[in-house]
Amino acid sequence: MRAVLPRSVRRHPARLVLSAAAVAALAATSACSTSSSTAKASPSAAAGSNTIQVVAAENFWGSIATQLGGSHVKVTSIITNPDTDPHSYEPTAGDARTIAGADYAITNGIGYDAWSDKLLAANPAPSRTTLKVGDLVGKKEGDNPHQWYSHDSLYKVIDQVIADYKKIDPADAAYFDTQKQTFETQTLAKYNQLESDIKAKYAGTPIGASESIVTPLAESTGLKMMTPATFLSAESEGTDPTAADKATIDQQISGKQIKIYVYNTQNSNPDVVAQVNAAKAQGIPVAQVTETLAPAGATFQDWQTQELQGIADALKAATGK
Amino acid sequence: MLLADANSPVFSWNLLADFQEMWAYPFMVNAFRAGAIVSVVCAVVGWFMVLRRQTFAGHTLSVAAFPGASLAILVGVSTSLGYFGFCVAAALVIAALGRKGRDAGAEESAVTGTVQAFALACGYLFISLYKGLLEGPTALLFGSFLGITTGQVLLLAVVGAVVLAVLAVIGRPLLFATVDPEVAAGRGVPVRLLSALFLVLLGAATAEASQITGTLLVFALMVVPAATAQQLTGRPGLSLLLAALIGLACCWGGLIAAYYQPYPLGFFVTTIAFTGYVLAHLGRALHGALGRTRGSSFGLGGAA
Repeated sequence: MRAVLPRSVRRHPARLVLSAAAVAALAATSACSTSSSTAKASPSAAAGSNTIQVVAAENFWGSIATQLGGSHVKVTSIITNPDTDPHSYEPTAGDARTIAGADYAITNGIGYDAWSDKLLAANPAPSRTTLKVGDLVGKKEGDNPHQWYSHDSLYKVIDQVIADYKKIDPADAAYFDTQKQTFETQTLAKYNQLESDIKAKYAGTPIGASESIVTPLAESTGLKMMTPATFLSAESEGTDPTAADKATIDQQISGKQIKIYVYNTQNSNPDVVAQVNAAKAQGIPVAQVTETLAPAGATFQDWQTQELQGIADALKAATGK
Repeated sequence: MLLADANSPVFSWNLLADFQEMWAYPFMVNAFRAGAIVSVVCAVVGWFMVLRRQTFAGHTLSVAAFPGASLAILVGVSTSLGYFGFCVAAALVIAALGRKGRDAGAEESAVTGTVQAFALACGYLFISLYKGLLEGPTALLFGSFLGITTGQVLLLAVVGAVVLAVLAVIGRPLLFATVDPEVAAGRGVPVRLLSALFLVLLGAATAEASQITGTLLVFALMVVPAATAQQLTGRPGLSLLLAALIGLACCWGGLIAAYYQPYPLGFFVTTIAFTGYVLAHLGRALHGALGRTRGSSFGLGGAA
C-alpha cells in the first residue's frame, strides 16, 4: 500500500465527506424520481387482455396452472432444470422481471422457495394475486414442503387456482370450470387410478425412502414409511443425518424389514447411494422419484404416473402380488 | 447456457432507454438506490480504512456479517438487524481488546484474526442449527440484489447518513491521528477514542455493503475504489471524492451488467472495480516512465 499524505491532508476533509454525502443523496434521489415517471411502462399487461400472466416458482405447479388455464393463461415457471436442487436455488434478474410482470404468482412456501418471498416483497403490485401453497394447505415452515406429492393438497391447489383465475378474469369463469372438470376427471384419471390401485393392493406395506419427498406419496397410497422421519428431513434439508438413524436404516435393509426402497435421484448424496446399493444387494427393489418434472418438458400427470408405475412395479416384484 | 434467452432484455447502449427499462421494475429501482447509498458510504469509509492500514479489520467486520445474518434468519428477525448488530459488536470487541502504543498494529491484527475465526465458526453453527431449508448461504456470502425492499433502502439511507455525518465531524482529527498518531496524541487529539469510533463506523459500513455484495466481496466496494483513487491522485480531498465516484460507477455498472446477464452481481462489481484498479496502476506506471524519460520530476503525487 502506498502512502498518500502530502501536507494538504489537513485542509478540509469534513467538507469533502459532506460532498460525498451529497453525491450519495443525489444518486439515490435521481433513482427514485426517474422511477415514478417510468413506472407506467410496467410490463404488467393484465388489463384489457384475456391472457393472465402466471408465474410459478416450480414447474410442477406451473404444469398444473398451464393445463387449468388453457388458452387464457401464459405460465412461466422459474425452477425447471431437473439437474438443479430447488432447495438451494438462486434467482436471477430474469426471475425478478418475470415476477414483477405477473398477474398471478404461485409459490410453494413452507420454506421451500424463500427466495420467491423476497422477490415478491421487492416488487409490490396491488393487482397481483399470490397463491402460497403452504398457507393454503395449512403447513408452516419446518413441515414437509413436498405438497405436490400429496393427493389432498393437489386437489386443494386445483380448487384455489381455478377460484383465483375466475376472480382475475371473471368473463371466462365458465371456461375455467370446464377446464377444471376436464383436468380432474380426464387428465388426472390415470394418476388417480394408479394411486387407488397401489392403495388397494399394497396398503400397509413397509417401505424405505431417501428423503421426506416420499412421505406425502406414502400417505396418499397407504404405504407404511419405515425410515425415521428425522433422517428424511435431514436429507431433504441438506443437513447431516444422525448416526443412530443411519444404523436403523442399515438394519431395516439388511433385515429386509422394508419391501421397497424409494429414492430422490435429484437429491442423492453418498449416504443415499450407499443405501441404494445395500438395498439392491439385499434384493430389495428400488424405485425412483424426482423433485421437479422429469424430463423437464413432461406434464405433471405424465411424470407422476410414471413414478407411481415404477413404485407399483417395484411393489409387485417385492411382494409377488 | 451462456447466452441470455430470447425474451431477455438486450443492452442497447442507449443509456436513457436502458435505464427507463430497468427502472420500470421496482426491484431494480431499489437495487440502484441501495447500490448508490452503499457504494458511496463504503468508498468514503474505505478511503480512511486504506489510509489507516486497517483492511484486515475491515475484512473481519465483514465476516462478522455472516453469523449476524444467519443468526437473524435462525431466530426469525430482520437480517438487516443481524448485519448491523454483529458488525458493530465485532468492531467494539476489536476496539476494546486492542492495545495502544507502539505495538498497537501487531496486537490489533492478532485480535482481529481471533475475532474473525470465531465469527466464521458461529456463522457455520447458526446455519447448521437452522432446521428449515436455509435459503442459499451463497447469497449471504456473495450477495444478492433482487430482493431489496423500500424499507431496507430507507434503513441503509439512515445508517449511511449517520456514518457520513459522524465522519464529517471527526474527519479532520481522524486524518491527523492516522498520519502521525504520536504527534496527534501530543497535541491532545483523543487518538484511542477516534480509533474505536472509526472501527464502529467501519462496522456499520461493512454491514451495509454485506447486504449487497455479500460478506466475502465487501472489499469490492470498500478497498478497491479507495485504492484506485489513491493511485490516481495524491491529493486527499480529490482522491476521497474520486473513491466515492469510482465506487458508485462500479456498483451501478455491476447492476446494469447483472440485469442484462444472468451472472452474479458480486462478480460484475468486483470485476469492474478490479479492472479500474489495474488500469489506474498501469496509467500511473506509464506516466512515471514517461516522466522519467522526459526528466521531469513531478509525479501523480504521493511518495514513489
